[in-house]
Amino acid sequence: MIDLPKAMLTRRNVLGAVGVGAAGLAASSLLSGCVGVGGTPAAGGGSAADGVTGAFDWKKASGTTLHLLQTPHVYQQTYEPMLKDFTEKTGITVVADLVPEADYFTKLNTELAGGQGTHDVFMMGAYWVWQYGPPGWLENLDPWLKNESATAPEYDYEDIYEGLRTSMKWDFNTGSKVGTGGTYAIPWGFEINNIAYNKKVFDAKGIKLPTSFDNLIDLAVSLTDRSKNQYGIAFRGSRSWATIHPGFMSQFAREGGVDYQLKDGALTGAMNSDAAVSFTQKWADLAKHAGPTSWTTYDYPQCTGDLGDGVAMMVYDADSATYPKNKPGASKMAGNLGWWAGPPGASGSYATNIWTWALGLNAKSKNKLAAWMFMQWASSKEATTKAVQTGTLADPPRKSVFDGAFKQSLSAFPGYLEAFDQVVSESKILFTPQKKFLETTEDWAVALQDIYGGANAKTRLDQLAASVTKKQAS
Amino acid sequence: MVGGHQPPTVSRARRQFRPYLLSIPATVVLIGILYPFALGVYYTFLNYSATNPAPKFVGLQNYIYVFTDAAFWNSARVTVTFAIAATLLETVLGIGIALLLNRSSLIGKIFEKVLILPLMIAPVIAAVMWKLMFNPQFGVLNYMFGLGSTFDFLNADRALWSVVLVDAWIYTPFVAILVLAGVRSLPKEPFEASAVDGANWFYVFRRLMLPMMWPYILVAVIFRFMDCLKIFDIIYVLTSGGPGDATKSMQVGAYIQSVLNFNYSMGSTYMFLLWIIIYVVANQLVKLLNKAQARAAGSEG
Repeated sequence: MIDLPKAMLTRRNVLGAVGVGAAGLAASSLLSGCVGVGGTPAAGGGSAADGVTGAFDWKKASGTTLHLLQTPHVYQQTYEPMLKDFTEKTGITVVADLVPEADYFTKLNTELAGGQGTHDVFMMGAYWVWQYGPPGWLENLDPWLKNESATAPEYDYEDIYEGLRTSMKWDFNTGSKVGTGGTYAIPWGFEINNIAYNKKVFDAKGIKLPTSFDNLIDLAVSLTDRSKNQYGIAFRGSRSWATIHPGFMSQFAREGGVDYQLKDGALTGAMNSDAAVSFTQKWADLAKHAGPTSWTTYDYPQCTGDLGDGVAMMVYDADSATYPKNKPGASKMAGNLGWWAGPPGASGSYATNIWTWALGLNAKSKNKLAAWMFMQWASSKEATTKAVQTGTLADPPRKSVFDGAFKQSLSAFPGYLEAFDQVVSESKILFTPQKKFLETTEDWAVALQDIYGGANAKTRLDQLAASVTKKQAS
Repeated sequence: MVGGHQPPTVSRARRQFRPYLLSIPATVVLIGILYPFALGVYYTFLNYSATNPAPKFVGLQNYIYVFTDAAFWNSARVTVTFAIAATLLETVLGIGIALLLNRSSLIGKIFEKVLILPLMIAPVIAAVMWKLMFNPQFGVLNYMFGLGSTFDFLNADRALWSVVLVDAWIYTPFVAILVLAGVRSLPKEPFEASAVDGANWFYVFRRLMLPMMWPYILVAVIFRFMDCLKIFDIIYVLTSGGPGDATKSMQVGAYIQSVLNFNYSMGSTYMFLLWIIIYVVANQLVKLLNKAQARAAGSEG
């Protein structure tokens, strides 16, 4: 006779296990519950900067221990050995916690949503001003910048490229451009999107750099030979907002695309215009015929890895991401890479989207003065110059450092500077600032993957535009 | 007899409060689960998100939005398809492996030990391992099967089935071990009698072994099906829900809404609906199990 262990398998017990499903709901609720409904928005009152008076002194917050949240990126790695300089200069001890980039923003989101001041300063990008600013998670830095008691006289914030400074500002109103409102982060480094290519192969084959997007497609396809595990061009394709912002957004804008239009005070999705549909279809086809086979899982490390391994002949991504692959010993193709701006649009446009790594100050921090000291030191001329000279920091945000120390280090990077100079006047954030940037831009990446998978571009982009318009209105 | 000892005297107050004291741990655990659960359900009636920290009551608006959103129905389809396919595959393979291991042999004993290895690996680690193996450029699978660098296990058409494959690799041993334990507890007499009567292997399996094993199989099915409905880790590591929405299960959808998009109310709505589905399905499966137990015990039919 079968005698099941009934004590373990009563209906009540098994249904109890359903509670595990409830635990999932509970977990998501707890996460949001940390803030509590009606969590405190940005304080409208005075800034903590107003409490800093007297003559400026780097030692003003001496004895404080500062907590940083960072991701192991070239900026963090370059600055890590320099932290002792900061401690020596200020008397402030720095404790840096590192989280891998794949999980970095999830960790940061969770911490900030929980209203914690665990980390005083954290790495973030310009788009995060639009996400973290409206709930009041970021300190407005304008009062700190203006306070001569808190900011060193030699700091010279204006030396940081104007496009980078304005990308840190927004007034949180729908339809407002970047550059309005307060400053919510300090630029630390930036990236211009262009094409890095295998110069050794290009030179050997006598290939001339393409002058239009259609030429680029032809070239990439001709360089693809799957039997040799070699393909023409790599760019991001994963299911993430990050797929849209580098090469795709830059070339999209050059070909005449825009993300939104402001109609009757509301943002209306415009990624289904004729120009946008035509370009998106070409981009998806380019990925299919000349991109990596598993394109839909590709982020920048895979793209630059394939370039460094000699598998990808070109990469359309951030110049600072491809730059380290040319450093001696850094990759198989080190010393053989070249750069160019990528093809202009039909109108001659070299519009280029920029990404800015920046430092944000947690509005809940209890060490704001020490945090501000760190932020101005990390973005100072002195520290940035040393980072360029001793580390692998590419594209320093300060014009004086870029024109000085950084340019001097570019002799072994053919085309890097020319590509930069070609696009710098047209480089800016090409996205429309919005509070639902991450969600709607990920939707865009999903649509791009669907088109890559065979969906009709016009139909899918119409659907996307309608969906994001609805989300913006909700 | 060791006599003479009187039971210790317990004061009336202590006797009165003891039941309450003993129930404290259970009450704390219950509150720990029910409070956030109730809070989550409450959020489904608000428009609560990080960018809207002062939410308002919106009634059933979140449910209406979700039910009229094609993405939700796609997530529901992905979740149910995955759960049925993975549970079916794991059950069939698990039964087969259990029957093979039931034969007493040296190889069987070795495999019994080896079989449990995938269960000892955290699903996230297993998914990372499979992601590397699926890689068309350097993955071992494309190399072994001579697929070249153009076959993508994780493209829109194959991604869901690749996730099923990984889930089956991890959890088939669980089903096999459960069923094997059942098979080994079966009484020998009916099988000896059928051998005397000259019944062939398939007849014995179909008419005797399978009906007696059925309650054990159902237990495995219940555990696996409920677990599969909640799939998150393997999918998130392998595809993050893509390409497109091809593998976006309801748990992945809820995570994206709550954690990545800061849309707490919408994430809670996804999770509450998933909880309802799991509750209903589990209820039906347990009813089925009770019937099977009764049938196997000979008290029905």
